[in-house]
Amino acid sequence: MNGLLQQDVNQETFTLNLGPQHPATHGVLRVKLEMDGEYIVEAEPVLGYIHRMHEKMGENRTWVKFLPNCGRMDYLSALSYNHGYVATVERAAGIEVPERAEYIRVITVELNRISSHLLWFGAFVLDLGGFTPLLYAFDDREQILDLLESVTGSRLTYCYFRFGGVYNDIDDSFIAGTREFIKRLRKRMPMYDALVTKNIILIKRLKDIGPISKDMARRYGATGPVARGSGINFDVRKHEPYSVYPEFDFDIPVYEEGDSMARYMVRMDEIEQSMRIIEQALAKLPEGEVKPKKAIKMVKPEKGDYYCAVEAARGSFGIRIVSDGTNTPYRMKLRSPTYSNLSLFGEAAKGMLLADALALMGSLDLVIPEIDR
Amino acid sequence: MGTQDVQPPIIHFATLDKILSLGRANSLWPMTFGLACCAIEMMATGASRFDLARFGAEVFRPSPRQCDVMIVAGTISKKMEPAVKTLYDQMPEPKWVIAMGNCAISGGPFVFEGQYGIVEGADKFLPVDIYIPGCPPRPEALIEGILELEEKVTGFRRWPRVEAK
Amino acid sequence: MLLAKIKEALSSLYDGIQETPETPETSEAEEATEEAVVPSEETAPAEEAQAEEAAAEAAPPPGPRETDYAAKGYHLDVDLPSEKVPEAAEILLRENFFIESIAGVDWIDDQQLEAVYDFNHFDELCRVVIRTRTDRNNPEIPTISHIYQGANWHERETHDFFGIKFIGHPNLEPLLLPEDADFHPLLKDFKA
Repeated sequence: MNGLLQQDVNQETFTLNLGPQHPATHGVLRVKLEMDGEYIVEAEPVLGYIHRMHEKMGENRTWVKFLPNCGRMDYLSALSYNHGYVATVERAAGIEVPERAEYIRVITVELNRISSHLLWFGAFVLDLGGFTPLLYAFDDREQILDLLESVTGSRLTYCYFRFGGVYNDIDDSFIAGTREFIKRLRKRMPMYDALVTKNIILIKRLKDIGPISKDMARRYGATGPVARGSGINFDVRKHEPYSVYPEFDFDIPVYEEGDSMARYMVRMDEIEQSMRIIEQALAKLPEGEVKPKKAIKMVKPEKGDYYCAVEAARGSFGIRIVSDGTNTPYRMKLRSPTYSNLSLFGEAAKGMLLADALALMGSLDLVIPEIDR
Repeated sequence: MGTQDVQPPIIHFATLDKILSLGRANSLWPMTFGLACCAIEMMATGASRFDLARFGAEVFRPSPRQCDVMIVAGTISKKMEPAVKTLYDQMPEPKWVIAMGNCAISGGPFVFEGQYGIVEGADKFLPVDIYIPGCPPRPEALIEGILELEEKVTGFRRWPRVEAK
Repeated sequence: MLLAKIKEALSSLYDGIQETPETPETSEAEEATEEAVVPSEETAPAEEAQAEEAAAEAAPPPGPRETDYAAKGYHLDVDLPSEKVPEAAEILLRENFFIESIAGVDWIDDQQLEAVYDFNHFDELCRVVIRTRTDRNNPEIPTISHIYQGANWHERETHDFFGIKFIGHPNLEPLLLPEDADFHPLLKDFKA
């Protein structure tokens, strides 16, 4: 009892657990918060609640058998993860990809990027308290899922790319459907803009919340819309072009302010840029094969290590593979963009109100299975 | 059903039980327990196209004390297992558990020789009522799972079965 | 341009490292290599190339190595002993590189653990890879988390998976594994 009475009455901080099960954490993320009333003194994310051993599985599976894993890391933009893995192994083993397959890869990856940003948009505004944009965003997203399902066979965790091409060719109904979809989405974007982006409540909740400076982004290794919202002009598609991206004419939206509103605007503008890329790709689509004559089942890259990066919806996704010349990888390291993006949350959330910290977390666009791998 | 010891009522009314179970089946309130990829399909089921609200199950409650069915959607890792058990214990009776997706049924695609991190299936530590296979299962499959659960609660099938043509 | 600049900056770290004994004995330009052993590596590549060709078993001279970007995916490969890693990180931060990832590799046949640091630059494409090896039974590497704060989590993850102790790290607790985990799963001889 004495201990209680002698406790410092000015001790105002208490520990709050933003637990693994929470509607706003987009997965199983736990954040240990030291709170001074409503202000955060210290925030420490705790990970590992969905650690699914992807890197260990990389050593236990052959190169081809690892393909389904790629779709389950970041399931919202699974095709870019497919692309990253396939591009790394193709670089290591020197496998050529036919041109039509490259164009199909770009079209499907950009469609996936749009669907990922639409889901982020719905979930983000849901975190801030608005339920209705989620339903509209999901409606648009279902159109994309229909298109991709007709080609790949799955709705969410795609396993569509193979070494040396893609698994299935696209047909005219897909091309016509994609053009139809782009027309429809172009008509819907002004609605999102007028009702949500210009909404005074959203502006007041996002402007000047959670500033991230360029130096902070550099020290933590933040990439993707988090870096582009802080004035860093870095996009792997333009910085280190891969596949057939050099053939297309598109801009990289960069905003200088570094607050949550800037990151929001970057992603909304990226949807428009992705639509531009898809239109150009559909217009220039060449004829030809989409997969090698004989399906590649065994890959034996030279001994050594290789690295390749692609631009996923959340940042620069990199894979480092160490090969010992056999059919099984020796080591597969997956560099997930959200891992680096979340690591700056501890420093960025100091001194913020709890509700603002959740707005910052939503603007970082977290997908926890990608962090925990 | 749950495993807690709940004292049965002293007097049973057959018709009242039937009405109560019909009421329970008509408004199953799920808990938002999306762990991984299956969570997105659960959200899609609640959204506009597949609309789980038609069957009364639209109210996804984050708090376990306000819901009666826990849809375990996603892989359960060994670190998360105590949290899942705690949440299950916090739910009031009567309660049910749906295991959605291959990971919740038996570990899914993450079972390999020498795995150290996941629990191979929710039924290792929870009493599961309905299993919905798929990776991830389609929203229609989740709706079918909810309808099967309703059949388990009331004792008869309230909605027509979809026949393959 | 950036590549040349960072290569020169990093090669200053090799001043204290001994030259391997085979190279001066077997080269023709023995006097030239002997008087200015380490710093003149970039200025005398022709003599060195002859020396390397002349002696098949001569080890390549220590220094940053440029790699074939199209084949490997990175530009500069820097092999350093563990003590020099924080200095290298300071040089890279001065030149405005950002840290991409830290990976561990278990070379069980050599009884060594390797840590591979990936760095990249926002403005100009230049990927720098720093490697360091440490003994498998007592792996220790100095931390760079006071220079690059992002390395805090990367080092915790590498410690989780391989057991590499990062000296000077503020809290080297498990990040992805349960808090009471005492096993290191990605070692080659790990049994569940």
